[in-house]
Amino acid sequence: MVKGTGASAGIGIGKVVVLEEAKLVIKREIVADIEAEALRFKEALVVFAANTKALAEDMEKRIGSKEAEILMSQSFMMQDPELTGAIENAIREECLNTEAAVDHVCNMYADIFASMDDELMQQRATDMRDIKTRIQKILLGIQDLDVAALPQGTVIIAEDLTPSITAGIHAENVMGIVTELGGKTSHTAILARALEIPAVVAAVDILKSVKNGDTVIVDGSEGLVLINPETDVQDGYISRRDTYLKEKKELEKYIGMPSVTKDGVRVELAGNIGKPEDVDKVLQYDGEGVGLFRTEFLFMDRTEMPTEEEQFEAYKKVAITMNGKPVIIRTLDIGGDKEIPYMGLTKDENPFLGYRAIRFCLDRKDIYNVQLRALLRASAFGNIKIMVPLVTCIEELREVKAMIKELMAELDAKKVSYNKDIPVGIMVETAAASLMADVFAKEADFFSIGTNDLTQYTMSVDRGNGRVAYLYSTFNPAVLRSIKHVITCGREAGIMVGMCGEAASDPMMIPLLLAFGLNEFSMSASAILSSRKMITEYSTKELQAIADKAMSFDTAGEVEAYMKEFIE
Amino acid sequence: MVSQKIIIKNPTGLHLRPAGILCKEAMQFKSIITFQFKNTTANAKSVLSVLGACVKCGDEIEFICEGSDEETALCTIIQAVENGLGE
Repeated sequence: MVKGTGASAGIGIGKVVVLEEAKLVIKREIVADIEAEALRFKEALVVFAANTKALAEDMEKRIGSKEAEILMSQSFMMQDPELTGAIENAIREECLNTEAAVDHVCNMYADIFASMDDELMQQRATDMRDIKTRIQKILLGIQDLDVAALPQGTVIIAEDLTPSITAGIHAENVMGIVTELGGKTSHTAILARALEIPAVVAAVDILKSVKNGDTVIVDGSEGLVLINPETDVQDGYISRRDTYLKEKKELEKYIGMPSVTKDGVRVELAGNIGKPEDVDKVLQYDGEGVGLFRTEFLFMDRTEMPTEEEQFEAYKKVAITMNGKPVIIRTLDIGGDKEIPYMGLTKDENPFLGYRAIRFCLDRKDIYNVQLRALLRASAFGNIKIMVPLVTCIEELREVKAMIKELMAELDAKKVSYNKDIPVGIMVETAAASLMADVFAKEADFFSIGTNDLTQYTMSVDRGNGRVAYLYSTFNPAVLRSIKHVITCGREAGIMVGMCGEAASDPMMIPLLLAFGLNEFSMSASAILSSRKMITEYSTKELQAIADKAMSFDTAGEVEAYMKEFIE
Repeated sequence: MVSQKIIIKNPTGLHLRPAGILCKEAMQFKSIITFQFKNTTANAKSVLSVLGACVKCGDEIEFICEGSDEETALCTIIQAVENGLGE
């Protein structure tokens, strides 16, 4: 067994084909006719550009534009004036043959990139070597290995796959990919995920361990490669693979299906995101909205405040991509557990009870106004809702709404468009907000329950502290009563009540939330389809009795045991 | 010769995509466009040279333009970097 890094989930079983790049023999020669040699190089560049374009177009058709971009960027690198200039120089001044000149210059760049302390830059070394080999093959008239012709049931084993080779892979024939080099963000990994081929990268010594024709199991979820496994092991994996594929397939049926219970109650299943590009995954799993967009990423790991434009672009991008579906954007939720010097945030003695989130924002209106203005401007491009975190008293919500009103007047004066009816809601995550939910429901446009913090604040427990973590349970009757109270108050006032904590996708929690009347469930994108499946199998009427029984227990343990038994 | 300092805000620094966009912008001008970072000088018209400088998020670099269209070139480049180079 060889251990590596799982780069693309799933299990693949097949026969090994070791892809070995034929070692090119590059002879160093002194050429007599320099002009002819320079011309040879120019012609090879033209062929290279044409080949790359054709490969990229095929890839775009079969896989996607993002993958094709990898190849187009190689073409761009090969046209780089420094690179072509250095190669021409080597030809003209050292009278080198083109093959040797390309070898020398490309290796130099590849070594520079490989020595950099940055994974993205190290990828460029792979690109550089790929470009070099392809140009040399063109010069020497060597045909590329035809990966597209691999037989069905193949597992590809290689030192590393170049983008030009991966581009030719057909998912129906290739059961798995294992490379000795590479990382989770390497071309191989990105492509394997796009093609949904199980893959393990950084599998040390894999080339020494296998030969052509061996049977291997590639466990891309665990990062394992099993070589010539016993029949019983193989059978075990075959059944695991079948279950995995069956479940995946079964869940795919739920793409495009409405999230409606058996008795016709419709809820919304949304995704939580941390960066604008995470939206792609939400849409891939058919999320009906974004229930929580954490905006902290814009402010972290930098030395100065993000500009209004920068924020505006990020919010706008999400709003446009979601194309009219709701996007709940949580305003800055940052505080004394992290030091952020440029914002004047230092470590708080008691950070979770201290100067953070809305408390910080209302104190630093210079910062908050910029974010609110960016959000308002972005609201012209989609269905954006503003969510205020860590609210404890109604004055805070009123103050935020007053700020928004002022900004609206300012935008009106400048004739900047925005959504005049932009909903402003609160994240219910403190005991105070929960107890006062009926009051908040009159002035907030929606609620979203943040169960992680609500549990922490209700139970007065730091879940990161192992000695008290046993107290942390969302199934504790105190937390459940709080959740039920918030949902009831919101529903009575006729506003939407959502949940954006981990509990929203917990199979044991979903029946209770449906019975309480929750409208929106927001979770990590990959949990959306399994949650939809569950929701369509329940009837909220039938769940009432279950919820009543669950609420009658005195301890978290009893509730958990009961719900566990129920879902089984 | 004109020059201006600017902080790179792209989350992963000047990696392939933003570097490519920077080069495309620089190519439109006749001026020689370079930037200084730490002790190296990089040619803004060369992706490899830009990548080779290994500029990370938050780093400050100084663009230097020299040539007949240096003023417009500097202005355009600074604007492009401020706009996040396509990110």
